[in-house]
Amino acid sequence: GISAPVVYFVDYATNSIYLEDIVGSTTVQDHINSVQQSGNDISSLLVLAEKMGELLARMHDEDLIHGDLTTSNILLRPPTEKLDLVLIDFGLSFISGLPEDKGVDLYVLEKAFLSTHPDTETMFKALLKTYAATSKKSGPVIKRLDEVRLRGRK
Amino acid sequence: MELTHQLELFPDCSVILLLFNHLKNAAALRKKAMEGSIEGALINPTMIVDPFQILVAANKAVHLHKIGKMKTRTLYAEIIFSLSPNNNISDAFKKFGISDSDTAVLIVLVVDREKTPNLEDITSQVEGQQVSLDELPQLTDTAKVKKMYKVTPQEEKIGTLLDSIVCRISTKDVL
Repeated sequence: GISAPVVYFVDYATNSIYLEDIVGSTTVQDHINSVQQSGNDISSLLVLAEKMGELLARMHDEDLIHGDLTTSNILLRPPTEKLDLVLIDFGLSFISGLPEDKGVDLYVLEKAFLSTHPDTETMFKALLKTYAATSKKSGPVIKRLDEVRLRGRK
Repeated sequence: MELTHQLELFPDCSVILLLFNHLKNAAALRKKAMEGSIEGALINPTMIVDPFQILVAANKAVHLHKIGKMKTRTLYAEIIFSLSPNNNISDAFKKFGISDSDTAVLIVLVVDREKTPNLEDITSQVEGQQVSLDELPQLTDTAKVKKMYKVTPQEEKIGTLLDSIVCRISTKDVL
């Protein structure tokens, strides 16, 4: 129930995986950059953040940890306005029910977010709000996220 | 009328799909298939939602055939086995292969690209009307397919039924 590229073929002989190519897609990273640069209404970015929060909540509720959440690992299917998200690059993912792992997953995204996209604190706040509202297990996760944030500060 | 597709990963191979409706001799065809006297995979079209489903299964079968790692004894048996979401070979044949009471059949051939296949050899043995692959969706039993592949409503909200099926076919041996 998570939008990700379809696996077409797994070749064990050469250890390769053939995946669906999301034709004409943009990374969330590029999208945020272009919206900010064009000076367009950023309220659409808040809706995007809410969609991201919802997607991550569903992923974590299935105990799937992405492991490398960044805005370049989330794609937007064309047309971009539909905000149809696709998660990619599961090279570092694993299964875990631990709030610690989920908290770290979100923390990694937060760091990537704020370092790549200036002035997006409100966006990430909206993302977390929807995450908390969508996920059935969000309480302990957000708590851990706060703890991890404190640990991260030098 | 038939659909021919060259496999991108195995360019010397072409997969040909032929669809027949109003089939009268399903039992005889099934017998021939069991004996190995018919050159093709005889598939129950009600379990197929799109030709791509066949291509993914055929691609996998051709790959395993080339590296000598098939689970079944022939390429055509392997295609049918690849379509199944589980590892029970006889179950795969029962669910995806042709049954005596079937009124339609999807025949899959894998040919050398160099050779021009003689489709007459196959079509002459089928007592039915050959129709275009465009008619396949009309024959699909979507409820049966969803049940077989255990597709959840959650999944359907995100992607197409075909997406769910292809993922199961391609990752069957991983899980």
